[in-house]
Amino acid sequence: MPYGALLIAFAEAVLGEDDARLQQTRSALRQALGDAALVDAAAVVGFFNAIDRVADATGIPLDPERVPQTADLRATLGIDAFTQNRV
Amino acid sequence: MDPGPYEAAPLPIRADLAAAHRRARDHLARPGTWWSGAERVALMVEARNAPQCKLCRARKEALSPTVISGAHDSLGELSDIAVEVVHRIRTDPGRLTRGWFDDVIRAGLSPERYVEIVSVVAHTVALDTFARGVGLAGLPLPRPSDGAPSRYRPPGAKPGPAWVPWIEPEDLTDAEAGIYPMSRPPANIHRAMSLVPPEVRSFFDLCEHMYFGPLEMRDFEHEFRAITHAQVELLAARVSALNRCFY
Repeated sequence: MPYGALLIAFAEAVLGEDDARLQQTRSALRQALGDAALVDAAAVVGFFNAIDRVADATGIPLDPERVPQTADLRATLGIDAFTQNRV
Repeated sequence: MDPGPYEAAPLPIRADLAAAHRRARDHLARPGTWWSGAERVALMVEARNAPQCKLCRARKEALSPTVISGAHDSLGELSDIAVEVVHRIRTDPGRLTRGWFDDVIRAGLSPERYVEIVSVVAHTVALDTFARGVGLAGLPLPRPSDGAPSRYRPPGAKPGPAWVPWIEPEDLTDAEAGIYPMSRPPANIHRAMSLVPPEVRSFFDLCEHMYFGPLEMRDFEHEFRAITHAQVELLAARVSALNRCFY
């Protein structure tokens, strides 16, 4: 994916605590993709950092239509055992 | 000049995004459904304070947060149980459990007040994480508005598979109109905070401008942002993995 590694590095830096790393990654993203892309990327990171908390704090289960779609993936990753531990 | 609240930003912020953040900030300062405006701003301040809490940092480092006891470094404006909820959601959401939630309710916090805390913390995290991403200081605290909470509990809210009661679409009344998308059945994340309907409306207003609206999300024929759908989803997935969000 174009600039995938840079976008991942940006997400990790925003959620991390290393301000120098964030500044460096932000500058690289801005230079590569422009101001509007930096704003849009920061907005997505901000929103998902929030919506993850809504999901985790309310204990919502996976949507029923996603259960069969993700069965193989969940089995491979062992995610079901993880969710069973959230009791 | 960009519209408020980002007039002084060193880079252009989309007008619709700035307006959504202004609405969210104003929403946080108004009396809510179960907390006053002043209490909601206090929750926001405590959410900003939580990452500096020594107890939260020790718990985050521990194999299990339950093995570390102590008192939170709070600002003293909220009850101990409210502080516990704000700090845990802010600093370690991926390890919240049903048992922890049940303890919170047993300690005297109602599910309605709990859900509103979840929303205030989530709004605050969305705004502050965005600001950190683009290199801005967090928005100044809003001035709380006077008035009493509405204390409106949706009559159709009932226990479901989540920890908190929610509203099934068929149980909506006119008072909750518009909390779910019209184009398809609501996902569980839409139902999650429906016990406090105004919080759903405000949070998914942010969603439309920080991520996508329900139609844009699945319209892969068009791009709506300066990054592609695929790049947006890559960011979303990486953030959710870092947060260990099971959903």
